[in-house]
Amino acid sequence: MEPLVKLRGIVKRFPGVVANDRVDFELRRGEVHALLGENGAGKTTLMNILYGLYQPDEGEIYVKGRKVRLRSPRDAIDLGIGMVHQNFRLIEPHTVLENIILGLREPGIRIDFEKHAERIRLLAEKYGWRIDPWMRVWQLSAGEKQQVELLKILYRGADILILDEPTSVLTPHETRMLFKALRRMAGEGKGVIFITHKLGEVMEISDRVTVMRRGRVVVTKSTKETSPEELAYYMVGRSAILDFGGVESAPGEVVAEVIDLEALSDKGVPALRKVSLAVRSGEILGIAGVSGNGQVELAEVIVGLRKATGGKVIISGIDATNKSTREIIELGVAYIPPESVRWGIIPEMRVVDNLFLKAYRYPPYSSKLILNWGRMFEKAEELVKEYEIVTPSVHAKARSLSGGNLQRLVLARELSGLIGEGIPKLIVAAYPTKGLDVRATNFVHKTLLRYRRLGAGILFISEDLDEIMMLSDRIAVMFEGRITGLLERGKADKEKLGLLMSETAPS
Amino acid sequence: MPTKIETRLGTIRIERRLTYSRLASAATTLTAFLLSLLVVAVILRVMGLDPARAFAVIGEVFLVPRLLSESVKQSIPICLSALGLAIAFKMNYWNIGAEGQIYMGMIAATGIVLLHAYYNLFHESMLLPLMTIASFILGGAWCLITGILKAKLNVNEILTTLMLNYVAILLVDYLVHGPWRDPKGYGFPLSIEFPDQAKLQFLFGSPACTGLLVAVVAAALVFCVLDYTRLGFEIKVVGQSLRVARYAGMNVSKIILLGSFLSGGLAGVGGLSIVSGIIGRLRPGASPGYGYTAIIVASLAGLNPWLVVAASIFFGGLLTAGGALQASMNIPRAATQMIQAIIFLFILVGEFLKRYRIVFERGGRT
Repeated sequence: MEPLVKLRGIVKRFPGVVANDRVDFELRRGEVHALLGENGAGKTTLMNILYGLYQPDEGEIYVKGRKVRLRSPRDAIDLGIGMVHQNFRLIEPHTVLENIILGLREPGIRIDFEKHAERIRLLAEKYGWRIDPWMRVWQLSAGEKQQVELLKILYRGADILILDEPTSVLTPHETRMLFKALRRMAGEGKGVIFITHKLGEVMEISDRVTVMRRGRVVVTKSTKETSPEELAYYMVGRSAILDFGGVESAPGEVVAEVIDLEALSDKGVPALRKVSLAVRSGEILGIAGVSGNGQVELAEVIVGLRKATGGKVIISGIDATNKSTREIIELGVAYIPPESVRWGIIPEMRVVDNLFLKAYRYPPYSSKLILNWGRMFEKAEELVKEYEIVTPSVHAKARSLSGGNLQRLVLARELSGLIGEGIPKLIVAAYPTKGLDVRATNFVHKTLLRYRRLGAGILFISEDLDEIMMLSDRIAVMFEGRITGLLERGKADKEKLGLLMSETAPS
Repeated sequence: MPTKIETRLGTIRIERRLTYSRLASAATTLTAFLLSLLVVAVILRVMGLDPARAFAVIGEVFLVPRLLSESVKQSIPICLSALGLAIAFKMNYWNIGAEGQIYMGMIAATGIVLLHAYYNLFHESMLLPLMTIASFILGGAWCLITGILKAKLNVNEILTTLMLNYVAILLVDYLVHGPWRDPKGYGFPLSIEFPDQAKLQFLFGSPACTGLLVAVVAAALVFCVLDYTRLGFEIKVVGQSLRVARYAGMNVSKIILLGSFLSGGLAGVGGLSIVSGIIGRLRPGASPGYGYTAIIVASLAGLNPWLVVAASIFFGGLLTAGGALQASMNIPRAATQMIQAIIFLFILVGEFLKRYRIVFERGGRT
């Protein structure tokens, strides 16, 4: 049978890199095809080419047997190709219905909203979704928004569906629902391309898997004939099994405690509702949960970037509630912010500036007024070596570094004890591995474990359950600004965590 | 910024350049400059004037000592204000109120002179130091008002700095028409003439030489503050990202206050250089827009203090040339300002092309 999509010899160059290097890819009718690879492997570039967002420099695209040229997403949509991006492209204040019919090309000037609404309802039911077409998009959960995105595509009759990391915003329960719906779509003869870097999902949902590495296709295989270990090997080109060694911990006294903490979100609604937690030295306390349930607000209140509206923060026995960020830094608190590449780095300044973003004001790096660049450069050179930051020099602008190296830079700045003596007492790490490739993720994990061994207390926020369960001594689950559960190491499994992470949990 | 424009003929895309060599950078600026002169030549020709003669007049400004010294004199207020703006702009603080801060500086300097002349409060050797301090403080305070509004209430500084310009200009009008009018001035709206000790000419008795010395010292100070002090580092971080600055534990409000004060203070001293270096008294309209020219100069110089000095002299030269063109060729003043603007525009486009590349793709929409 004719494949739905066939890509032959696709080459796409960007200044300085070849994002896709003679890539061949094929999507058959009725299959879920996983596209697996580390960040920067070229998955999204390839799919953006298929969706008409980029023009390939070389190569041919066949859709349903016909050679085509995709000049824009319009062309792709006309050929039945639909894509769900990682960041939703919905108009929040509009209704579901308006979002779905926006851009439909239909003759006539009057829109029969009722007719469309009914059709959309039926379509949604077919996949087991309960969506009210008259709801405003901002009222929906992340999972429901994704369903709207899919409905938008399906309503246009697309039979080639591209999903870019669709599970990154979902709870385990929502993920299962998505997988069921995808199965159903494949059963109808549609083709689904599922971009991911999570091995577990590949094994669970896909019929075939194509692995990409550094812009090239390494292998395309039937999922049944492969294993997670083999896929990991293809992905990074070497065995990626982690060896932590001595995971047993010996927690000491409490280094930080929050009691009945309350705070508002940026929108001014309660984000933390009486959160109480304690982190002991030498332990990793994992905070699990779907992002946006108060985790970032918790981190920000602790480090002094957000005002607490109630409750207390105690660090090393000192009341640090609503103290300035600077005072909290001086108490020995290190903070790895979420999306630190964006919010913890200044791309237009040099590596050395970024390394000393906090320590520049303390001796021996400056006196009361004057900076001691000599000392800073000397130390920066050392740190670049110690943390294996790949950079042309410490004079290079941070923007020339890759994401993984920027995260190393942040780790070096926060953890290496530039301020005060010795290591930080408390490390607040918010999504420190998000968006990183396997190698960089490994480095972050190892570094956090090293500091645990050295006696730091670590508050580790992540939405990746595998990672949380692997590293944490205890796991607290957050949902809608509350701690819905606190589990000891070994007593947590995905089912339990999943329940605590969603409204299905008993309160 | 739109990165993609689709037209009938093809797609135009704007891509960020990753690298651009120094040589290519210099060549781009030079080409832009030469192209701007070409356009100026065409315009002059259309106006029925001889471009070659006009360019000869402009060229003379930088070659004839008397004119060159005039150019340098004109460049001092521009330079000092632009140095202040360099600090503000590094902080991403859009101070477009250098003009008003210049006027406040002039008021402060004149005030000290009048205190001396009318009340004889201090020795005349103290005049210049006191005038400098006072003009710095008053210019700085003028900008600090907007800094406080920004830091405490998040009021947009573009509006406040601009609006305060008119207040300062009118305040000078009031003073020279009223309380500060020279009693022996036949009713003209002028202050008394400054005594020699209040004039900026202690170096070789030449305002140009003295001014240049002041400008270079100020440039060195700004350079050191930005590159070698904690405050300079903080200003740069705040300018790049407020959020990262807060994350790093910096006291953003304090930095904005200090930065805006320094910025206005330098413009204030620029005001001093007008009343004691160029005019020798206070009069309405004493600054013909030096504070606005300083915005152009600061951005042309890429906020580099040393280049600010060079760019100021260039613009001081254009101002002088404007006068010379008016006198010798009867070119209207508006035309000379247009010439400045054209040169600026071309160099700005050159700067853009250094950072971005424009790509044309064949084949239009179907």
